[in-house]
Amino acid sequence: MPRSKTTHPSPSLLNLTTPVAMGYIPLGAVFGFLFIQAEGPWWLAIFASLWIYAGAAQYMMIPMLVAELSVGTIALATFIINLRHIFYGLSLLNTLPKKWWQRSYCMFALTDETYSVLTALPPEVRTQKMTLLAFLNQSWWVLGTLIGIILGAQAKLDIAGMDFVLAALFAVLAVEQWRANRDFTPIWIAIIAYLVAIFIMPSHALLLAIAISLFISILRPQTLQDTHA
Amino acid sequence: MNTQYLFITVVAMGLVTFVLRALPFMAGKFLRQHVFVKKLGDNLPLAIMCLLLLDALYGQSLNNSHNIWQELLAAVVVIVFQLRTRQPLLSILAGTVLYVLLRSIP
Repeated sequence: MPRSKTTHPSPSLLNLTTPVAMGYIPLGAVFGFLFIQAEGPWWLAIFASLWIYAGAAQYMMIPMLVAELSVGTIALATFIINLRHIFYGLSLLNTLPKKWWQRSYCMFALTDETYSVLTALPPEVRTQKMTLLAFLNQSWWVLGTLIGIILGAQAKLDIAGMDFVLAALFAVLAVEQWRANRDFTPIWIAIIAYLVAIFIMPSHALLLAIAISLFISILRPQTLQDTHA
Repeated sequence: MNTQYLFITVVAMGLVTFVLRALPFMAGKFLRQHVFVKKLGDNLPLAIMCLLLLDALYGQSLNNSHNIWQELLAAVVVIVFQLRTRQPLLSILAGTVLYVLLRSIP
């Protein structure tokens, strides 16, 4: 699908990163804010945004750390939340930069937003802009985290239901996943799998539901449309 | 909270995330050859995100004396906002503010 080759010669880096900044600064701030409110050390919030750099997983870790769940449990949850990234790289396979440090950094920094900006670019431009774009995007996330830390340190709020942001972020990501393919079947698979799982094994409903969804996905006949090559 | 525990957990989460992001570049040939990988790629990301959402809503409802309608209503608001506006922050704020208000109702 040669969609972006028609009119614009090559969008500037600033044009590419600005929409991401508009999202990452406030969402990073929400993370920093909640982390400080949960009485986590400020430097660890910064470290998480530098080292993990995955919004949903970072939001999720806050209540899990407060509950002092085991490292293995939290690592497994991270695995589940970020499993989708395996399928992202496949469409960028031959367009990574050549230098090893650029390659490694680009792989590390391949978030949902960076991925969707990159896939909208023609392959030639993609390779050339990838490292700096990925770096700028992460800078917004870290900057947002810092702002959130400063705001969160001002006063302790105790509002029931504020932790709904995690569910809300999952809902946003689900909408964007749906938009990519406009296929409702995975939603039905998930709903059925979850209902079955909660009936059979309420204590491990999520894991069982994922296993069921995996199984149904493999059984499902190949879909006709092929969106991203 | 124990600093060592926090630090180790964050390090582990970073490693898991990096491995997932790097895997397609390491094993791309293998992954591309298999039809089941394509099928999983078409179905799983959205299915898992829906499952995470359902599980988060269900978990949230357990701390709430009302049954799950408040969580579902707030989630629907987030989804509608995101479909219409494509502004993650706006969608998240709208749903969360509504949820906080619903929770404040005795």
